[in-house]
Amino acid sequence: MIGFLGLDVGSVSTNLVLLNEEGRVLKSVYLRTSGRPIAALQKGLRQLCGLLPAKTAIRGVGATGSGRHLAGIIAGADVVKNEITSHAAAAYRLVPGVRTVLEIGGQDSKIIIIRNGVVVDFAMNTVCAAGTGSFLDQQAARLNIKIEDFGKAALKSAAPVRIAGRCAVFAESDMIHKQQMGYDLPDILAGLCEALVRNYLNNVGKGKDISDPVVFQGGVAANQGMKAAFERALQTEVIIPPHFDVMGAVGAAMLARDYVSRGIPTKFKGFGAAETDFRAGSFECDGCPNLCEVVEIKEEGRVIARWGDRCGRWSIRVAREKIS
Amino acid sequence: MTVKIGIPRSLLFYYYYPLWKTFFEGLGAEVTVTGPSTKAVLEEGLGLCVDEACLPVKVAFGHVAALRGKVDFIFVPRLVSVFPREYICPKFLGFPDMVRSCVGGLPGLIDININLYRREKDLYRQLREAASPFCRNPLRIAAAFGEALAEHRRFTERLEAGMLPDDAFGDREVAGGKPGGENWTVALVGHPYNIYDSFINLNIIKRIREARMNVVTADNVPGPVVDRYAGTLSKRLFWTLGRRMVGSAYYFMDNPAIDGIIHVASFACGPDSMTGELIQRRARRTGTPFLSLTLDEHAGEAGIVTRIEAFLDMVAMKSELSTLS
Amino acid sequence: MKVTFPHMGNLWICLEAMLEYLGVETVVPPPSTKKTLSLGSKHAPEFACMPLKLNLGNFMEASDLGADTILMAGGCGPCRFGYYAQVEYEILCDLGYRYSLVVMEPPERHISEFLARIRQITGNRSWLEVIRGIKFGYQKARAVDGLEMTAMRLRPREIDPGSTDAALSAALEEIAGARRPEDLPPAIGRAREIMGGVPVEDRPVIRVGLVGEIYTVLEPFANLEIEKKLGRLGVEVDRSIYLSEWINDHLFMGLIRGMRSSSLYKKSASPYLRHFVGGHGLETMGGAVYYNSLGYDGVIQILPFTCMPEIVAQSILPGFSRDTGMPVITLISDEQSGDAGLQTRIEAFVDLLAEKKRRKEWSA
Repeated sequence: MIGFLGLDVGSVSTNLVLLNEEGRVLKSVYLRTSGRPIAALQKGLRQLCGLLPAKTAIRGVGATGSGRHLAGIIAGADVVKNEITSHAAAAYRLVPGVRTVLEIGGQDSKIIIIRNGVVVDFAMNTVCAAGTGSFLDQQAARLNIKIEDFGKAALKSAAPVRIAGRCAVFAESDMIHKQQMGYDLPDILAGLCEALVRNYLNNVGKGKDISDPVVFQGGVAANQGMKAAFERALQTEVIIPPHFDVMGAVGAAMLARDYVSRGIPTKFKGFGAAETDFRAGSFECDGCPNLCEVVEIKEEGRVIARWGDRCGRWSIRVAREKIS
Repeated sequence: MTVKIGIPRSLLFYYYYPLWKTFFEGLGAEVTVTGPSTKAVLEEGLGLCVDEACLPVKVAFGHVAALRGKVDFIFVPRLVSVFPREYICPKFLGFPDMVRSCVGGLPGLIDININLYRREKDLYRQLREAASPFCRNPLRIAAAFGEALAEHRRFTERLEAGMLPDDAFGDREVAGGKPGGENWTVALVGHPYNIYDSFINLNIIKRIREARMNVVTADNVPGPVVDRYAGTLSKRLFWTLGRRMVGSAYYFMDNPAIDGIIHVASFACGPDSMTGELIQRRARRTGTPFLSLTLDEHAGEAGIVTRIEAFLDMVAMKSELSTLS
Repeated sequence: MKVTFPHMGNLWICLEAMLEYLGVETVVPPPSTKKTLSLGSKHAPEFACMPLKLNLGNFMEASDLGADTILMAGGCGPCRFGYYAQVEYEILCDLGYRYSLVVMEPPERHISEFLARIRQITGNRSWLEVIRGIKFGYQKARAVDGLEMTAMRLRPREIDPGSTDAALSAALEEIAGARRPEDLPPAIGRAREIMGGVPVEDRPVIRVGLVGEIYTVLEPFANLEIEKKLGRLGVEVDRSIYLSEWINDHLFMGLIRGMRSSSLYKKSASPYLRHFVGGHGLETMGGAVYYNSLGYDGVIQILPFTCMPEIVAQSILPGFSRDTGMPVITLISDEQSGDAGLQTRIEAFVDLLAEKKRRKEWSA
């Protein structure tokens, strides 16, 4: 069969998906990046390779996430796209007619406004962690509740506690205060969800034309309490698409499928890339006082890419992404 | 039919309410003012205003929104300058445009320019414009203007006699925060919409008074004194409010009757970032007990209150120690 | 006396030329780097805007190179830039730096005040010489602007990625290297030749207007090299303000007439913003309307965190975008801004613009 690969290398997680020719998600792999994107990606490729149906031919590869350039070089991607465009691509193909995409991941969050299948507006979080999943992770840890159980427990609340604070640190102190006042755990959990939704809508969602259908994706969409909080705040149904937690990778794979459909052969290096020795190093360029940190990727000891220099002294020429 | 004019209880309300109210009432209009700031007002403002704006502007958005559907006109003057060769901050200069662009469902806006940058006499002509949507009788406007100015003078005198705006708005003779009633006196320095809005500053005036201390503010300092101290700056400060804060803070540092200074700033306030720095550096050099509080919508109450209480303890201890020695 | 001044893009090229022509010893601060910013942030008020922090860092680094006199622009508000020099000076004094400060304030009463301040720097040079020096610096600013405009046109069309930027820095070196006014015309000729040597091809580009606060627009360190980034994504950029315009407004007090005037922006902005708000807030709003009228594909606003005039414009831009369908994005820069976040935002914005353009062309 023919397959398309989507790679999403983020700061928290690394996701890989395999699509078939119709664009259906056949397999997905979810890993922690743990600060080692190359190792995570290679491990992911190895795992995915083991899950592949026999005689699968990869015809296209798309990379996204903050480590998209790295992933693109290591695996040989045909399309290297930013997370916003990838998330939007996945959302409007899995939920046709979608007009609003709410995405909350571990380290960042975004809103994407889509009209007639085209992104017309978007925003990413500007305040620190308080609008992202790590806010919930931290508070769950403090409350000694597993993040997996968070959502279910929050749904039990009839009267969510009001937790003030946009900044995670302030919210935490307010939450402790509420805990000391003797509120029930479910009410506090639901209160945290509402605080996150409020922060998100006041920051990322500010001034955006949020209208139906609304899709909620990203790792945090697993939390039922968050879905309920969004529905209360927006007064509308919020759809959680299948594969909500790997949407970036799905979108990247779909964009790759579009790209190669013009008859362009894939640059995929094969699953052997998982066994190749890739090393990322960096050095500080002392050519000027900017002291740029130049990232260098070596394949079997040979430099295959460099970036990070402002002046272009070190960058190896990479094929320009053409617009049209 | 009587025209209803709404005035948001925000921004320079704390300086000009008596003037504006008297003027509009003199023209036969009914004046409605929003209630004190509340969590609901703030929430409304947070939802409408860009995140990067400062807290007082967000609160002001909430007050403007609260007047929707209740009045015929909302008075949101563009306060460019209230004193020759000085300005209010840029956000005041753009406030009516920001409101028009971000708040839906508004009634008419009376958004005249108040710009006394060239000369103070321009005020009459500018307020005449504020009257134009509902009153064009020049005699009546002139009379209302006269009354309004007289009321404003009376209000300013009451402030300089030691009252705070909330007391000075009324007719009662209150023995305000005039120094001498208690053992210690703390000066509260900050923009009027921060220090007089008890919701956004977590009731700081009441807290200081409950600690049995007097409160004085920059508005209790007579103009010439402010001028004298602000005049020591190497360059004339071009913000009216900032200049008043710096001038009075410098005066307070020089005045043995003042035991400590609390500077109240709003996060992301441009003028505060500059004038606060000048005041803080001078306070450090003169050894004046000094507390800097930064207000924003997500500051936890506990943190602010702890700091205020600790500071008041410090002031009391320090002045007791100096009495002993 | 060794005079220094803060960086803002290529401002140093003209100030150095002007001062050295007048025989004033000049210390150009090392280019703004992360070190400059962290030095400045450490001592500046926390929510001061980023340019102040970088200025402060520039002065601290220039002092290490022997500078003892600061030349700064002034202003009469309401943007806080007008009080930068005084606050920076207080901070430097507290830190033990021994600088003297000369601020080019707009004359309040008479032009003689302004001239007297110039005398503080230039000593006994004749006024004719002073005027020649200023003219020399100004001509360099015009030359720099011309080269940058060329670069913005070439970048999206260059065949070898990076070749425009390499040419631009070589061309700027030619301009900076001209010691005397008579050296400048041949230097400009050589610079143009260098730029002309960049191989380009004709391709469809996206046109974006860059508006916002002047410092973040002009200083590549502060805007994380947004012009280069956009250029490499196939975007032709124009800016609402150029260096020579700023110099005319702030150092020459608007003496030179007939430049792309702020009255154009004022008129364009009027449906949305009806009053100046200090800084370049009105120019930002007017610039957005102006770029829309020129048929640009998108507008990018850039500002330092807490910048008051730009926050006014930022509040109003979404309404303009709704009315006109012109895509607008606001980017805020401060010492926390990361390169990756900016890159993702502008890539997504460029995708949005490209898709919109493609659909428009189809339906046309």
